[in-house]
Amino acid sequence: MSLSDLYFNINNGYLEGLCRGFKAGILKQGDYLNLVQCETLEDLKLHLQSTDYGSFLANEASPLGVSVIDDKLKEKLVDEFTHVRNQAVEPLSTFLDYITYSYMIDNIILLITGTLHQRSISELIPKCHPLGSFEQMEAIHIASTPAELYNAVLVDTPLAPYFIDCISEQDLDEMNIEIIRNTLYKAYLEDFYDFCKELGGSTADVMCDALALEADRRAFIITINSFGTELAKEDRAKLYPKCGKLYPDGLASLAKADDYDQVKAVADYYAEYRQLFDGAGTNPGDKTLEDKFFEHEVNLMKNAFMQQFNFGVFYAYVKLKEQECRNIIWISECIAQRHRAKIDSYIPIF
Amino acid sequence: MAHLGIKGKLLAVIGDEDTCTGFLLGGVGELNKHRHPNFLVVSKNTPVSEIEDSFKAFLSRTDIAIILINQHIAELIRHQLDAHVKPTPAVLEIPSKDHPYDASKDSILLRAKGMFSADDFK
Amino acid sequence: MSGKDRINIFPSRMAMTIMKARLKGAQKGHSLLKKKADALTIRFRIILKKIIETKQLMGDVMKEASFSLAEAKFATGDFSHLVLQNVNKAQIKVRSKKDNVAGVTLPIFESYTDGSDSYELAGLSRGGQQIDKLKKNYAKAVELLVDLASLQTSFVTLDEVIKITNRRVNAIEHVIIPKIERTLSYITTELDEREREEFFRLKKIQNKKKKDKKVKEEMQKELGIQESGADGQRNLLEDDHDEDLLFTS
Repeated sequence: MSLSDLYFNINNGYLEGLCRGFKAGILKQGDYLNLVQCETLEDLKLHLQSTDYGSFLANEASPLGVSVIDDKLKEKLVDEFTHVRNQAVEPLSTFLDYITYSYMIDNIILLITGTLHQRSISELIPKCHPLGSFEQMEAIHIASTPAELYNAVLVDTPLAPYFIDCISEQDLDEMNIEIIRNTLYKAYLEDFYDFCKELGGSTADVMCDALALEADRRAFIITINSFGTELAKEDRAKLYPKCGKLYPDGLASLAKADDYDQVKAVADYYAEYRQLFDGAGTNPGDKTLEDKFFEHEVNLMKNAFMQQFNFGVFYAYVKLKEQECRNIIWISECIAQRHRAKIDSYIPIF
Repeated sequence: MAHLGIKGKLLAVIGDEDTCTGFLLGGVGELNKHRHPNFLVVSKNTPVSEIEDSFKAFLSRTDIAIILINQHIAELIRHQLDAHVKPTPAVLEIPSKDHPYDASKDSILLRAKGMFSADDFK
Repeated sequence: MSGKDRINIFPSRMAMTIMKARLKGAQKGHSLLKKKADALTIRFRIILKKIIETKQLMGDVMKEASFSLAEAKFATGDFSHLVLQNVNKAQIKVRSKKDNVAGVTLPIFESYTDGSDSYELAGLSRGGQQIDKLKKNYAKAVELLVDLASLQTSFVTLDEVIKITNRRVNAIEHVIIPKIERTLSYITTELDEREREEFFRLKKIQNKKKKDKKVKEEMQKELGIQESGADGQRNLLEDDHDEDLLFTS
């Protein structure tokens, strides 16, 4: 036990305990089994009431829509997260801010898209993810052109360094929005990775693993998804985050890949990824590669809770909770659309 | 063919968020010169008058050939659908994900029902 | 409908010929229109059947499509706002062609793809395959809906035309033809009447003549039968005292 661990509890002990408490509220396999039995969304609501979610849907008028459930789930996560964030002190607070940056990227991208198409920003603000909101977002409506947006708003956001490094003012107009998003995300991941490394200790151990997986996953998925699109190989290579286990050899060979088999060949060199690729199939009923990645991520996140005195639990909690929201939405969609055949393809957590 | 010179017409969509998203991904979305979209996202809070106005606007636009509308939204402005008797633009009622298709509410099928005996509808 | 409801025309043989021609025309028109109505109705029924089939099919296709949207959302998270904002140029458009059924033009829609996919890179980092599938499903749905739209417009157009045609058929069958027939029978009765009158008149004249003759004969009998042949009338040919009318100076 290093010295820093001794002092961990002074500042962060309460929050870690809180987070572990929240974690205990994550739905278990048994809860999922109950949920998939539901015939209607009302049943689902009843079942959720017996879990940690309590009566979070109690005030909703029927008929219950999937989007309502979605909003409420998000709201709960945001509530918990902001509570933790408000209590946190350095360096945990910065760490938590880093977690919100990924949502911020999504929001910024949405706002940029809106501005490029001359939609009113005020109607977009409510659609942004609350975890990714930032002060300058309110001011963003003063910007009516991409140039103004870049100069007046973006430079003030926490994301500014990512923008300045890789995207110029003109790029906003010309680049495909998805490329901007991925470029930003890459810069963000690398930055986050460095930050965690600096923190050192078990936080670095846990988080570097998690972020490396995220980086490698992006590299794989981007490669696979770019087949058959206009995305050139050089541009594609620029989107690979350079903080994963694939860096540098794996990324170099990924950059040259032309089809799925070649990607698979690259993955073969890495034991943990080979496993994922082996288990994935494209036939209906098989788990897709992304599902496998999700499962892998969930496992990794669960392991983060095995270690004490680290910030990884917060990251892990948010990720797991996000996965849980997706699971619940998936189950609700299946119930709402009476499409029960695939209801079991949610990704169980505990 | 002589019709090649004719400019292609659009499909318009009035529907909930998911329906619109789906069709836009399918590639029907367009903003015209005045930056009016050819779709309307109807949420729970959208007033009926707004739906009516959009519907009317779509009907009067000459570049729209087909209007797709979610059936549960069509229910809200049923009188307008019934009042629209011209063949173009064609108004199609489509199911949404929460509301499976109910043939007995469709204006067109109701019109058909008046003419034919019940055994045509199985 | 009283017997008075007929075309206002002077009952003559001429008028009767005209009426007969008109009757023939009306009957021809009736059978032609009837044929047209039948042709349209056959087409109409086919279309109706197809509409019902397609509507059912559409239900399934839409269900699949919206389910793939759920799948994509599961993999990618909520991307709908981005899609809603990122609208620019339509990729799928429709073109209308004309089809002709018994003189009725029916618009047929045809979808075609134009321009590039503005969402090509959507879900690049996550859920790209799902989104791809979603796009395909919705493109399929659009295709089906365009078909359905053509069917529906044909349906509405045909419905209108069939109604008009049926109205015409009925009008000819129940109004125009009876009217002409009534006119014809009116003319016939009038003509018959006139013939009978004529006949009667002739009879009357004959009778009168016979009577006159009888009276004359009896008078002559009373005077004595001396001149049976000559009747006192002058014979022009035998008259020699025919004065020249011209140039008697």
